[in-house]
Amino acid sequence: MNMSKRTNHKTPWYRLDLSAIVYPTLQRRNFSSVYRLTAVLKEKVEPNLLQRAVDQTLPRFPTFKVAMRKGVFWRYLEPNNRPGPFVEPDIMNPCMPMSFQNSSRYLIRIYYYQNRISLEVFHSLSDGSGAMCLLKTITAVYLRMKGYPIPSGQGVLELSEKPQAEELEDAYLRYASSRVRPPRSRDKTYRIRGTREPFYTLNIITGILKVQQVLSVSKHYQVSVTEYLNAVLLHALLQKQKEDHVFRELPVSIAMPVNLRRFFPSKTLRNFITMVYPSIDPRMGEYTFEEILLQVHHYMRYYINNKFLNADITTNAAVTKNPLIRVVPLFIKDLVVRQFYKRVQDKQSSAGLTNLGVVETPDEMRPHIERFDVLMGQPFSARTNCAVVSYGDTLSISFASSIVEADVERLFFCRLVKDGIHVMIESNRKTGVK
Amino acid sequence: MSYCVNCGVELHATCSECPLCRTVVQNPRQPVDRDSPTPFPGRKGDVAPVQKSDVTILISIVLAVTAGVCGLLNLMVFRGNSWSLYVIGGCALLWVFCLPVFSGRISPYLSLLLDGAGISMYFGIVAWLHPGNGWYLRLAFPLTVLATALVLLFAAFVRQIHASVLTRAALVLGETAAFTVIIELLIDLYWQAALQITWSAIVLTCCVIIDAALITIIRRTRLREEVRRRMHI
Repeated sequence: MNMSKRTNHKTPWYRLDLSAIVYPTLQRRNFSSVYRLTAVLKEKVEPNLLQRAVDQTLPRFPTFKVAMRKGVFWRYLEPNNRPGPFVEPDIMNPCMPMSFQNSSRYLIRIYYYQNRISLEVFHSLSDGSGAMCLLKTITAVYLRMKGYPIPSGQGVLELSEKPQAEELEDAYLRYASSRVRPPRSRDKTYRIRGTREPFYTLNIITGILKVQQVLSVSKHYQVSVTEYLNAVLLHALLQKQKEDHVFRELPVSIAMPVNLRRFFPSKTLRNFITMVYPSIDPRMGEYTFEEILLQVHHYMRYYINNKFLNADITTNAAVTKNPLIRVVPLFIKDLVVRQFYKRVQDKQSSAGLTNLGVVETPDEMRPHIERFDVLMGQPFSARTNCAVVSYGDTLSISFASSIVEADVERLFFCRLVKDGIHVMIESNRKTGVK
Repeated sequence: MSYCVNCGVELHATCSECPLCRTVVQNPRQPVDRDSPTPFPGRKGDVAPVQKSDVTILISIVLAVTAGVCGLLNLMVFRGNSWSLYVIGGCALLWVFCLPVFSGRISPYLSLLLDGAGISMYFGIVAWLHPGNGWYLRLAFPLTVLATALVLLFAAFVRQIHASVLTRAALVLGETAAFTVIIELLIDLYWQAALQITWSAIVLTCCVIIDAALITIIRRTRLREEVRRRMHI
């Protein structure tokens, strides 16, 4: 088993996993790869108790209690024993850039507002599943402090146990074993045209839906919920491209992270995702919504299986295993990766969509939690990102966008309403709130 | 509960407009709730400036110690000439170059101006040790001032005017042509020869030709698009 934790007598340190390598290179004064998970409780949050819960929980999650450091050839994470992280009152512009030097070098933030606990995580530490585990544990410890008997399990880790080696591993290296590496070149895709918001503004629109309604509509179309929501977003993007009256139509594509734990058993709390790109090319002809659904359905069935995903992660792993690439100094790697991402990778998708799936908690927690929200964070370029999560019978769909116009969001939710799904909207947009 | 008449979605009780289409909520039976807390807080967060004090201290100490030790060696051990001034000047120059690393808040114009002053200072040290034929005041100093002014002009252009790469390239070529011509004229003045353009005319001609081509491409949209298509990465 490849262990990413290196023990050097006293100080452990962690190599960045395959996904984590990219995020620090994209770091700008006005951009960080930060996402947010929120637990909406049924009662107001007490900040003092929450701080105590965070302080008690974090030592159980050593890969979150770290600072980012620069080596000559790669960055790495080292344990951070500075005071913090401290809980703060929430802000209207979440997922702000996260400097590696500020906030005592912590790469997570915890906010509270009314009955919400929000956790913001720099993507190099973990993916949504790992961070959700931390948020659930913090929430469980907080509820225990309030006097409720909450057991461990279902993603709530036992604080008295020591962190397991598998929780800290770079699972990519364990499973990357394909003998072929598929090429990665993809077409340029449609980019949403819009007016950029000023610095540090992140527009959020959250739609609250009933899981049963979405399930029955998906069942009616004979697809899964993820496929249905992907198709709705693709349909919205196609309509938006048409409304833009572009000179030359381009394919519309969605970057969708896939949780690899479903295919390759691992308890890792670090990144273990890969991207798939369901897309529709309007140059081939007009697609009806049903045709988009069919296309997405077959794409997902064809690509999302352990063979294709293994080939994909092997391609990623090959880059970091190449000795010629390894010896290139970090600043050159940064330069090349940043340019590649900006000029190629970022242009390969029109929007992002992530579905964290169903959040499971111990039954004893359910009476105290209303729902979970997830926010994909600030997009690298002017576009919108969509994140989905469900808890009990509540499905939450949150759009995060750095542009003024909300056309894609409007077209998306209108399609859901047209399909008979009840949608309740919340937003931080200035025009939409009092 | 209020619904958007345009989108059909239910709106949070505190919404006065639909966030999706900006249709104003007008529900006589349930007016907008202005007392309950909004779903998102109203406080706007701000990113704290990056603290680079460790790097500043480290680089400053390394440079100061290097300069100090070389100065002492020059005074006490290797007393042949004032060689340590080169090292001390070099350290001071490096420190000035590192100012943007120390503080992200320093104005780029001020930083460039200080860089120009630092280079002039270093040339001054060389001139003090090797006075020559007044080369510093008549050649090195004016050229440094001119180069600094041209770099400042380019920086102001890039920061203030949203221009294409081609426009920026045209400006760089224009500045290169002007700089070359002035170098030749200053050399003529230095040698007290008649002012005339010879070798710099070749650079000037090349720059003018490329500039003319660039300006034509910039001004003709079809041509610009063609270049963009053929040169895309």
